[in-house]
Amino acid sequence: MQVYDAPIRDMRFVLEELHNDDGFGDVEGYEDFDSDVSTAILEEAGKLCKEVLLPINWSGDQEGCKLENGTVSTPKGFQEAYKAFCEGGWAGLGVAEQWGGQNAPHALGKMVEEMTCSANLSFGLYPGLTGGAMVALEAHGSDELKEFYLPKMANGEWSGTMCLTEAHCGTDLGMLRTKAEPQDDGSYLVTGNKIFISAGDHDLTSNIIHLVLARLPDAPAGVKGISLFLVPKFLPNADGEPGEHNHAGPTAIEHKMGLKASATCQMSFDGSKGWLVGEPNKGLEAMFTMMNTERVAVGIQGLGVGEIAYQSAVYYAKDRLQGRSLSGVKNPDGPADPIIVHPDVRRMLMTMRAYNEGCRALSGWVSRALDASHSAREPEVRERATDFVALMTPVVKALFTDLGHESAQLAVQVYGGHGYIQESGVEQFARDARIAQIYEGTNGIQALDLVGRKLPHRMGRNLRSFFHPVSQFCEDHAADPAIGKLVGALQQSFGALQLSTGHIAQKGLKDPEEAAAAATDYLRLLGFVAMGYCFAKACKIAHAKLAEGTSEEAFYKAKLITAQFFFDRLLPVATAQFMAIRSGKASMMDLPEEAF
Amino acid sequence: MSDNTIRKVCVIGAGTMGAGIAAQVANAGVPVLLLDIVPKDGANRNAIAEGAVAKMLKTDPAPFMGKRAARLVETGNIEDHLDKVADCDWVIEAIIERLDIKQDLYAKLEKVRTLGTAVSSNTSTIPLAQLTDGRSDEFKRDFLITHFFNPPRYMRLIEIVAGPQSDPATVAKVRDFADRKLGKTPVDCEDSPGFIANRIGTFWIQAAVNAAFDMGISVEDADAIGGKPMGVPKTGIFGLIDLIGLDLMPYLQKSLTSTLPADDPYQKIARSEPLIEKLISEGYTGRKGKGGFYRINREGGGKVKEAIDLKSGEFSAARGSSVVRGSAAKGDLAKLISIPGKVGDYAWAILGPTLSYSASIVPEATQTIVGVDDAMKLGYNWKSGPFEMIDKIGAARLVERLKADGLPVPPLLEQVGDGTFYRVENGKRQYFGTDGDYHDVVRPEGVLLLEDIKLSAQPLIKNGSAALWDVGDGVVCLEFTGKMNTLEGEVMKLIQQAIPVVAKDFKALVIYNEGPAFSAGANLGLAIFAMNIAAWSEVEKLVKGGQAALKALKYAPFPVVAAPTGLALGGGCEMCLNSDAIQPHAETYIGLVETGVGIIPGWGGCGEMLERWIDNPRHPKGPMAAVSKVFEIVSTATVAKSAAEAKELGFVRPTDEITMNRDRLLFDAKQRALGMVEGYQPPEKPEFRLPGASGRAALKLAVDDFRKRGMATPHDEVVAAELAHVLTGGDTDPTELVTEDQLLKLEFEGFMRLVRNPNSQARVEHMLETGKPLRN
Repeated sequence: MQVYDAPIRDMRFVLEELHNDDGFGDVEGYEDFDSDVSTAILEEAGKLCKEVLLPINWSGDQEGCKLENGTVSTPKGFQEAYKAFCEGGWAGLGVAEQWGGQNAPHALGKMVEEMTCSANLSFGLYPGLTGGAMVALEAHGSDELKEFYLPKMANGEWSGTMCLTEAHCGTDLGMLRTKAEPQDDGSYLVTGNKIFISAGDHDLTSNIIHLVLARLPDAPAGVKGISLFLVPKFLPNADGEPGEHNHAGPTAIEHKMGLKASATCQMSFDGSKGWLVGEPNKGLEAMFTMMNTERVAVGIQGLGVGEIAYQSAVYYAKDRLQGRSLSGVKNPDGPADPIIVHPDVRRMLMTMRAYNEGCRALSGWVSRALDASHSAREPEVRERATDFVALMTPVVKALFTDLGHESAQLAVQVYGGHGYIQESGVEQFARDARIAQIYEGTNGIQALDLVGRKLPHRMGRNLRSFFHPVSQFCEDHAADPAIGKLVGALQQSFGALQLSTGHIAQKGLKDPEEAAAAATDYLRLLGFVAMGYCFAKACKIAHAKLAEGTSEEAFYKAKLITAQFFFDRLLPVATAQFMAIRSGKASMMDLPEEAF
Repeated sequence: MSDNTIRKVCVIGAGTMGAGIAAQVANAGVPVLLLDIVPKDGANRNAIAEGAVAKMLKTDPAPFMGKRAARLVETGNIEDHLDKVADCDWVIEAIIERLDIKQDLYAKLEKVRTLGTAVSSNTSTIPLAQLTDGRSDEFKRDFLITHFFNPPRYMRLIEIVAGPQSDPATVAKVRDFADRKLGKTPVDCEDSPGFIANRIGTFWIQAAVNAAFDMGISVEDADAIGGKPMGVPKTGIFGLIDLIGLDLMPYLQKSLTSTLPADDPYQKIARSEPLIEKLISEGYTGRKGKGGFYRINREGGGKVKEAIDLKSGEFSAARGSSVVRGSAAKGDLAKLISIPGKVGDYAWAILGPTLSYSASIVPEATQTIVGVDDAMKLGYNWKSGPFEMIDKIGAARLVERLKADGLPVPPLLEQVGDGTFYRVENGKRQYFGTDGDYHDVVRPEGVLLLEDIKLSAQPLIKNGSAALWDVGDGVVCLEFTGKMNTLEGEVMKLIQQAIPVVAKDFKALVIYNEGPAFSAGANLGLAIFAMNIAAWSEVEKLVKGGQAALKALKYAPFPVVAAPTGLALGGGCEMCLNSDAIQPHAETYIGLVETGVGIIPGWGGCGEMLERWIDNPRHPKGPMAAVSKVFEIVSTATVAKSAAEAKELGFVRPTDEITMNRDRLLFDAKQRALGMVEGYQPPEKPEFRLPGASGRAALKLAVDDFRKRGMATPHDEVVAAELAHVLTGGDTDPTELVTEDQLLKLEFEGFMRLVRNPNSQARVEHMLETGKPLRN
């Protein structure tokens, strides 16, 4: 049973209470989004997700997308849902007012994204891809392109894609073959084949705007010879209406493990007319503008699936009657107690809950930094926010998607045999969540990005934006009567993180393989310390609220218990990660290739 | 006959070379008379020599090492003051390169000089025999050629040519003075054209220029190939010509072609390039003119470095060249010349002929290959001499390729065969002689080098950042080995390990190393990383560990002598300050520069500087006088630009002696330490009477004033306040005494507060990234 109610109270806690002291301040330009407005938006979005998107999640998975006569049709209900989505103004929530959007802060926008990902991950991809394409276009496109395309994308009338991957090149884009021939009118003719293109074709919008990586005729080899082009499915008329077909369309749809209602297409561009976005041969940089935003968005997908998996598991654990509690019968009127009485079921539920709350708290911090990195008044704050986003982007992407997938697997486990049966709807979460660990740069690549680029960058400068507030918090609260003990545990794992960082910096300098061998463990260690920091802060707030008296005692008490669970049961893994990192690469690399 | 001491020197000719030589004599603390001709117009008959001194006081890099040195130069003119030569023990002639004018001067000199006074010429082109033609036998006995390199203070080579009639005692006297007092390395040359360095240097430049034109190599690529990868200063060849002046090239060329025999290989490659002639005629004479092969284009307010296209003669923005990569970029010459294509071919076109030519001038220009290598290393700043380069390539391989290219193979190269020009035998470095045998490289008396000791010894203790060596006679040497000899925890650890070892088995310790920098200070790269990850306890350990180690050295039961050369900054300076004595090389650049990176000295530098200024008998007494002085020096991160200046600033004590010759530094420091052994008592722990809060108020007023005048930044104020807190003794007043330990604690606390300040972190980061201080 797929059960979902948007966790609005926790979202508001993150938005309004948790990060007020993070030094990113009140970001300019978002004054309209006060508490009341934000709450209203969250509630509206929650309603849409529960009432419109959730009901077509499982059916969409069962039905899948179809390719007929060169066009893709989405499952039943998707067109109507998309229409409702656009009419509600959700397509342009985070888009600048200039293009007809609402200019909501990321801090709020990411919460709404989490909801759509919970309710219907496949559906979320269609507007999600449009959002990414808009980011790249806004940052690098000419004024002419922006003025023509952005308003229609902001209101959802047209959608967007990003076309990078080809059959022989995924992670290594330097080998890309698609070509772009310049034309006399300043446009280009793009020819080539792409695979794995999310939302590559569908029946939700009247036009699809593809951002395609291709090579100019005189381009240098490798990644320095890649340019970015805007290629519409239909060439717009002068009045802006979709006109002639541009020979940019799907040749097949991929048959995937999950995410079946999202059309993942093989695309063919056959002399399709396009326009250069940004500088020639600087396409990868332009693409990375969107990729970095997208990586945070993919992390949110992991969180979204984790949340619905948790809620669905809770529903079942309370509903399913099996066995009796070890501490005495809890449901004397029934044939058995609900399985939520069992410690091991609790273990699974609390793990999922702590992951979700921890990730949401961390995502709230990163989102605030995203906003501050663009809009903070003081240059130092912008710089610090930029450093923090750079450091945390691979962590959010990899950690959230790993934990989201783990939560989905735990949900299946809570359901037992029924979880393995399609009708329960929970195995879909496990299948859907799986891709998020892979696309937008596999989680292994994220870990390499963290230790290879983000960590050593400018002698560890990115680290400062995270290590300093944690260190300061630990110092300030080590003797706090309410949270001193938690802070002690946080300090210990933070120490492990500091030592690991020093270890990697030192070893990695001499031997990059040492850094790479530590990468995945290090990413998780850093992520867990970050979540621990957020939980410790949450406890400080909760204790204060409970002490001063609140009508929401249950919420704050639950927060304290969840945090305690995280510190007792989950954070200790930091020590293990530390030991793994310290062991070095030897046992990972020593086995000769032929022995595999 | 006079004794062998040179007490006064006369330099005739106040051009760049003459004036620079006079300055260096004065730097040695020896009075010098600087004479030039009487100007044609003007009332001041000494105007030329006086003008030269005045100009030198403004020149950077400075020819004088300190103000005292400048006062030792007496100026005059050769018409009125030549008789003063009678008081001088050595007369150096550095006038125009015209035989008739030189001969005329010598005739006059012969009449006024005291018998036994050495007379030498700084000529670079005129044979000795011609110079002394017509002079008396007595004059010829006292005459020699002493050829200095520009700038005389900084270039360590002096080529010495004795004539057949020169008195060996006179030559020895001058050589000894040049070595010990002027800090030069004398290389004995034969009386052959261009001597050693300029002969090979001119050939080398010509070969490189010819090949660049012939092979169509851009100047940027030429300098990228012919510079750093060959161990030549990174200006490369074209950059070097810009530096010495394009207009000088035809002159050097002519002087060699007119004096070298017709079959000399240089005659074949000497040629003029129309482009270079055109450049000279248009005023592109190099950096002194409008530019040369490179120029700075300031059009539109910008500053764009441009390079010339050797084909078209057009300038365009200079490209950074990265044509040489990998080990070939780092001194692997064999690899460099075998890179397929233009890069390897060009490298060979320089090295092949140049190395062959170098091997051909022994023994005609000098008796040993060591002289050739020393000349190129010390006169042209090559990292390796030609024969050391040949060993890197392999003599046999070089011969093979020379033959294949139809280039001459000098007999010495054939003779060495499969062998090498240098080898180490029984812990001694040996060179290949023209007799076909190997001979020990003999160091002059008083020269002691770790480099030599390492050939036969193992360190007593060693880790990744420092090592401890037995340098004989009961003295141990502490050597730093990190990058730029920066200091970190490992160094402190080794110091703590060394103290009991020295106390038990040795008499004294010298802190010395043979890097270009004694120590650039604490390892900031490590520090910023620790700061970034908030590893405050690590930073605390570094500060406290450093304090403990340096104070343990100070109070160790044996004398400690620091022997700095080059940079001794920050922690490197504190290493010296905490020693019993300092034996600095004259070219020591020492200072407490911490405030530049937003921190304050943390290893006892504050207290040591206070102690020195309190002890200075010529400085006013009272609790504030020393504090103000040290505050002034440290808050502005003042660096002494010589050992002499370091004395003026109090980094070096008045009782400390300065070593002029780099190679004698370890020996001198060792002797100094041994001299302190008998009856040695560790110093008493100082106590300070410091002004406290009232003194701080006064210092704050001074800083406020700087701030108002725009000379101090907001963060300067913060750093200065922390420094003032330490120097004034924290919460004290002049009725109390502050112990050294209390002062160290104040240092530590102030240091840690600053390290945690984001503005200080920004300064450290900026320094590491740009090499320049951040003025935030």
